[in-house]
Amino acid sequence: MKRIVIFSFIFAFAAALAVYGPAAAQDKYPSKPVNGYVPASAGGSTDLMSRAIEKVWPKHSPQPLVIVNKPGGAGVVCTEFVVRSKPDGYTLYFGYGSGHDIVMPNLQKMPYDPYKDLVPVARISVHSVVVVTGAKSEFNTLKDMIAWAKKENKPITSSVSMRAGAQDIAVTGIAKAAGVNIVTVPFAGGADAVTALAGGHVMLGAGHPSEVVPHIKAGRFKALAVALPQRDPSLPDIPTLKELGINVSTWGSVKGIGAPAGTPREVVDYLEGTFKKICEDPEFKKIMADLDQPIMYQNGAEFGKFLQEASADYGRLIKELNITIQ
Amino acid sequence: MDIFSGIVSGFGIALTPMNLAFAFLGALIGTAVGVLPGLGPAATIALLLPITYSIPSPVPAVIMMAGIYYGAMYGGSTTSILLNLPGEAASVVTCIDGYKMAQKGRAGPALGIAAIGSFIAGSVAVVGLTLFAPPIAEFALSFGPPEKFSLALLGLLMAVTLSGDSVTKGLIVMVVGLLFGTVGIDPISGKSRFDFGVIELQSGFDFVTLAVGVFGLGEIFYNLEQSGKAEIVTTKVGQVFPRMADWVASRMAILRGTLIGFFIGIIPGGGAVISSLLSYAIEKKASKHPEEFGQGAIEGVAGPEAANNAASSASFIPLLTLGIPGNAAIAMIFACLLIKGVKPGPFLIVEHPDVFWGVIASMYVGNFMLIILNLPLVGIWVQLLRVPYGILAPVVILFTAIGSYSIANQAFDLYALIAFGVLGYALRKLKIEAGPLPLAFILGPMIEGSLRQSLLMSGGSFSIFVSRPISLTIVALFVLFVTAQTFVAIRRSRRCSAAPKAA
Repeated sequence: MKRIVIFSFIFAFAAALAVYGPAAAQDKYPSKPVNGYVPASAGGSTDLMSRAIEKVWPKHSPQPLVIVNKPGGAGVVCTEFVVRSKPDGYTLYFGYGSGHDIVMPNLQKMPYDPYKDLVPVARISVHSVVVVTGAKSEFNTLKDMIAWAKKENKPITSSVSMRAGAQDIAVTGIAKAAGVNIVTVPFAGGADAVTALAGGHVMLGAGHPSEVVPHIKAGRFKALAVALPQRDPSLPDIPTLKELGINVSTWGSVKGIGAPAGTPREVVDYLEGTFKKICEDPEFKKIMADLDQPIMYQNGAEFGKFLQEASADYGRLIKELNITIQ
Repeated sequence: MDIFSGIVSGFGIALTPMNLAFAFLGALIGTAVGVLPGLGPAATIALLLPITYSIPSPVPAVIMMAGIYYGAMYGGSTTSILLNLPGEAASVVTCIDGYKMAQKGRAGPALGIAAIGSFIAGSVAVVGLTLFAPPIAEFALSFGPPEKFSLALLGLLMAVTLSGDSVTKGLIVMVVGLLFGTVGIDPISGKSRFDFGVIELQSGFDFVTLAVGVFGLGEIFYNLEQSGKAEIVTTKVGQVFPRMADWVASRMAILRGTLIGFFIGIIPGGGAVISSLLSYAIEKKASKHPEEFGQGAIEGVAGPEAANNAASSASFIPLLTLGIPGNAAIAMIFACLLIKGVKPGPFLIVEHPDVFWGVIASMYVGNFMLIILNLPLVGIWVQLLRVPYGILAPVVILFTAIGSYSIANQAFDLYALIAFGVLGYALRKLKIEAGPLPLAFILGPMIEGSLRQSLLMSGGSFSIFVSRPISLTIVALFVLFVTAQTFVAIRRSRRCSAAPKAA
């Protein structure tokens, strides 16, 4: 018993040293593990991207990266936590550009400024919205479905992952542009929405590539269109809505890295360089391809500009489509 | 590859020393996680995910994670029975009669029957998984919003049967549970409800925090009050293994629980909870002595435990055949496979037969390991009750707090935990059985969400619930159950009012 007590003291002391020792010595960044906070549950597409980074990170940095999931409050809890953290580069925000950063500020007041309170470090990926229908559906194209809805004067039902999310906005945009009635049915997340379409309970569905591409490949879904301004680099065969004559595009969900405002410039530069190297790492490319997530790297400055533009685009769409969360 | 040669090759993979070691490690960690109150399989797998990066092949990693998942289901009954602490939703039902058995000094038989029931159910479900995975997966997909609504409504009705003697009290706690379930973002409109400006409340309360608070902490607070008295329940241990009579009583319960768990448990999102509820309700109906339910009936432990373990094996079916993860823990296994470059889904069996058959075969092996691991442990767990309450209670609270914090890594859940503990204490003082509360909490959002989704689909017409065959069948069962119950109640009250007149 006594031995155990002594051992645990030694252990605690060593642990304390490990945490505070190097920091006190003011070593070059990074001198201790870096924490990456993900505003979503483990297993979702943002988490998977972060895990992929976590896996290859040790090849490019002397200190490990630790991914922590903070899914509360539709992501707001996580972002607020990072915003209020010490700006020393050891607390990073993974998934900067998600719905609660570029869509929600257009709908409600946020407890922080999603652009001023965070420093953009790098963009990693853009998760487009892919519009799909079930393989057993009588419609092979969006045009056929729209023509049917117009002729029969009936509504089209569509599953979406949540109200006023990227999928909901894209599908509602299609309805407005094509002049038909599409009833969007919100589900508890992308997986549930996809499952409802797979079971044939709705006519149309929309999801990020990681959610729908496996089903397209399995012959369960037919891909109809991508809601990006240009084609999705990971899905070069699927036309954009604009190519189909439906004048709508969104930025889907953007996945970048942010740090609390006030993080030293040299730390941000170091991180930017590390993420660039990771995005060029063949192993990371392979994992991302397996996850159906395109790598769309941008440096901090470009990414910051992009975020503002994407958010403004969403603001315009939300106004045009009269989307609210009442 | 046909099923037979597939499973033979699977055993070839699962029985290699390394994979056996990983299966054992998974079963061991899973049992430990299940036993530690508040710590769930999803959080554990998330913690261990980075470790699997360094395992070169996906097979051992997935075998271990699967072991953690069903091992936790096995171990979860232990704290439910001994300490009134449900580790996850499907264990709430086990608490009702399991903890009563422990209080009566029958913790051993309760744990024993839970282990055996889990073993039988787990093994039967894996056989089902081996033989019928694809058609069963299609069956699961046919549950759309209308079917889920009907099923959850039936589940809610069953939850009231847990309320013991007073239906009124059962309905009261049920409504409280439903109200707690409405906190957070409205699933359909996206508006945040009852958050009082607290961001953490926007995602609603966490189930484990609520259940562990109301049951476990409430019980501890209540016992603290009793500390003046010489003996708290924990000193009685009694016999360790179930008697012959216990086996006979539980035989059919385990069988029925297994079937219910396999078929209902497969439905993504809430299937496991509803299957354990259905099993409990059916056992109570089938029993010759329904009055013992809620007072420590062994069938009330055997049936639901079999159901939730069958459900945990069955929940691999949508993952392996469709690539659809049905719950948080399975989603973690999904993530692990994806990071390893393996895509679960229809092509898994073709692209990675080693993963598909290896994991299934490992589940046969894992179930054996679990029973061998758990039966001798029953004796040790029961000794836990000899630990003085002054030591046991703080340790339990510590682990509960760690578990609760680990779910979303936020301190808010600790305050919520304490508040739910106080609520549980109040219910205990008022002699109200808390069982329906957490169940209504989990079923409420399901009912609300699927009701509104169904009505969006049908353009507002309620006929959608009776125009689809599966939903119609469930609605018919619901009506049948309610009318039968009403009939019985009327007859009973007539007899009661007639009796005094005769006398």
